[in-house]
Amino acid sequence: MLSFLKESDDRIIEQKRKESAVDPILQEFQQKYQAWVEDSLEEFKAHKMDRIVRNYPFVSYPDVPWTPYLGEAKDHKFALVSSGGLYLKDSQSAFDTESIHGDASFRELPKTVRQEDVGIAHAHYDHSLAEEDINTIFPIHRFVELEGEGAIGALADTHYSFSYVNDVVPLVEESLPLLVEKLRQEEVTALFAVPV
Amino acid sequence: MGNMPDRMVYARPTRALLVKFPRGCMFGEPGNTARQRRIIRDGLKAFQSMSEPGSVLDLPYRWKKPDPDE
Repeated sequence: MLSFLKESDDRIIEQKRKESAVDPILQEFQQKYQAWVEDSLEEFKAHKMDRIVRNYPFVSYPDVPWTPYLGEAKDHKFALVSSGGLYLKDSQSAFDTESIHGDASFRELPKTVRQEDVGIAHAHYDHSLAEEDINTIFPIHRFVELEGEGAIGALADTHYSFSYVNDVVPLVEESLPLLVEKLRQEEVTALFAVPV
Repeated sequence: MGNMPDRMVYARPTRALLVKFPRGCMFGEPGNTARQRRIIRDGLKAFQSMSEPGSVLDLPYRWKKPDPDE
């Protein structure tokens, strides 16, 4: 799935796998999720989503992580993360929109991205407004303006999009540790996460 | 950000803005750049003002209706 991995990425993933192997909440999810897939597959294929979404075994952790936000916006470097299924049409593969498991990989989008560069691969929302103006779900052009005006300290060169994900295990074990590492490497200090 | 309080209960975001827009348009109508900027600025202010984990700011904006005065 993540064929672009580097050796350092492999080490990050292996460490996270060791941690999640003893995570009781993730283990409980895996058991419930397998039953959910068996129960939901026919309706998923028929795009009948109401009942199966109601029955989905959402993962919820009791603690909310907290990092204090110090200073003002002009002291921070910002990045955007979307779940809109955004990808670069000319250089990246689209997300898998057929699997009941979803697609846990992510795509990197430069802050110079133009409306016409962006494809949308996500089977579970209406894309028409975002195809007209990507800023309705991914306000990258507004953030570029704010950076130019000095309203924020800096805007990262790279931003990120996921698509829909039902099987959260590869998300937790592989994609999110990589994402966090990439954000750290670019010294991002504040993240706008925009689901669709 | 979020637009489904029932889902946010599961996700438990550290800090969140809640909008009244449907899926696929969390920042409002296409081309409404003033609203897009305002929602971002609301988020920037919330970063500074929110002091408790799990804080949620319910934004007042409504589809194709004028924004309230700042």
